[in-house]
Amino acid sequence: MANRTDPTAKNIHGTNPQNLVEKILRSKIYQNTYWKEQCFGLTAETLVDKAMELDHVGGTFGGNRRPTPFMCLVMKMLQIQPEKDIVVEFIKNEDYKYVRVLGAFYLRLTGTDTDVYQYLEPLYNDYRKLRQKLADGRFALTHVDEVIDELLTKDYSCDIAMPRIKKRWTLESIGTLEPRRSALEDDFEEEEDKEDDDQIMIDSEPDAREKDHYRGRSPARDRDRDRKRDSHRQYRERDYDRDRDHDHDRDRGRGRDRDRGRERERDRDRYRLRDDRDHGRERGRERERDDRESDRRDRDRCRRRSYSRSRSRSRSRDRKERGGDRDHRKRHGRSSASPRKHEDENGNVREESKKKKQKKPKEDGTDHPDPEIAEANRIRASLGMKPLK
Amino acid sequence: MIEVVLNDRLGKKVRVKCNKDDTIGDLKKLVATQTGTRADKIRIQKWYNVYKDHITLQDYEIHDGMGLELYYN
Repeated sequence: MANRTDPTAKNIHGTNPQNLVEKILRSKIYQNTYWKEQCFGLTAETLVDKAMELDHVGGTFGGNRRPTPFMCLVMKMLQIQPEKDIVVEFIKNEDYKYVRVLGAFYLRLTGTDTDVYQYLEPLYNDYRKLRQKLADGRFALTHVDEVIDELLTKDYSCDIAMPRIKKRWTLESIGTLEPRRSALEDDFEEEEDKEDDDQIMIDSEPDAREKDHYRGRSPARDRDRDRKRDSHRQYRERDYDRDRDHDHDRDRGRGRDRDRGRERERDRDRYRLRDDRDHGRERGRERERDDRESDRRDRDRCRRRSYSRSRSRSRSRDRKERGGDRDHRKRHGRSSASPRKHEDENGNVREESKKKKQKKPKEDGTDHPDPEIAEANRIRASLGMKPLK
Repeated sequence: MIEVVLNDRLGKKVRVKCNKDDTIGDLKKLVATQTGTRADKIRIQKWYNVYKDHITLQDYEIHDGMGLELYYN
């Protein structure tokens, strides 16, 4: 009786709101003493009082995964389904940060895409500290904006799977959302103005809040992007670092490839980070000198690599291609009959994998002769574990 | 390299190849890639002993071919 959802509550995302929390976790919450004692017969008003008493965020902890009071209150909100204005009040209040995070969490679970971005992004400016309970029972330090970032970018938080929301750039392209203006943008523009006087202008991506770099974009779009000032560099720096490592293997288009080369140069000068930046710079210079050649090479590489997702996977795929093709050729005796494109690719593939093999013997064991073990090692490498012995 | 069998008695039986010096946490990650559940939702037990994440298989004396019980959190 006490665990039934309010009969006047609407369906959220097509289901009983309490079903947003999965079955095992839900039963754990119902059996929890905090739920039974404190959360019985709560209304929206009394819930606020309970929320003000919260002192940590978190999912489940301990060996038997007990839920935190934060979880119980989220569940209670799902059960009674308060009005949207109440939830917005929770979020807007400045005094109690845990109430804010509770409201934000609830809105992320139940709100529409536009609402989520609209109400949660201002919370990025809140830098207050939060206490987070980890899975092993210890407390960790986190901040409000970190939690909001997790809510907006990841699809799992506090042991609850978040409903899917559209990416920000999708909403912007439909026009329901304005491009993101960060609070630090003005500071960055000043810095940009100073630096850009000495530097060459480069192409850059328009929106810093694109989280999904790896979606396929047409090369035309890359090329057409005008040279704009990149005022959102800082936010993308994280993505950039990731991209830079991947870019040695992954090309998404000629235009972007060229851009990366130049951007690496500029980044090296500006940020003075790790050594691989120099490597990138040399590469960039090379590319600039032999533009046409590199474009052709990149085009071929791009076509092949656009199918691969990760370095190890591309390598294993090269091997498969290489092995398969060689056998195929032997069997069918084809020397030049295959379409030029394909052959060119394979020729390239073989050449480049050979080069790689000569340069660096694989350490993560993905070149093991036994395919099962090679596959297992590939999975282990992707998880960050050492290969099988 | 040893191979461990995990059975959840509801139809999911998973064979996982791993090293002796892998921790239970690593084993859970490997199981997660094979079953599709999240690694932190998995609980590995042997009768009533819940296996802890930071201890290696070798220390739990888990040998090749041994069966473990798969539960969910």
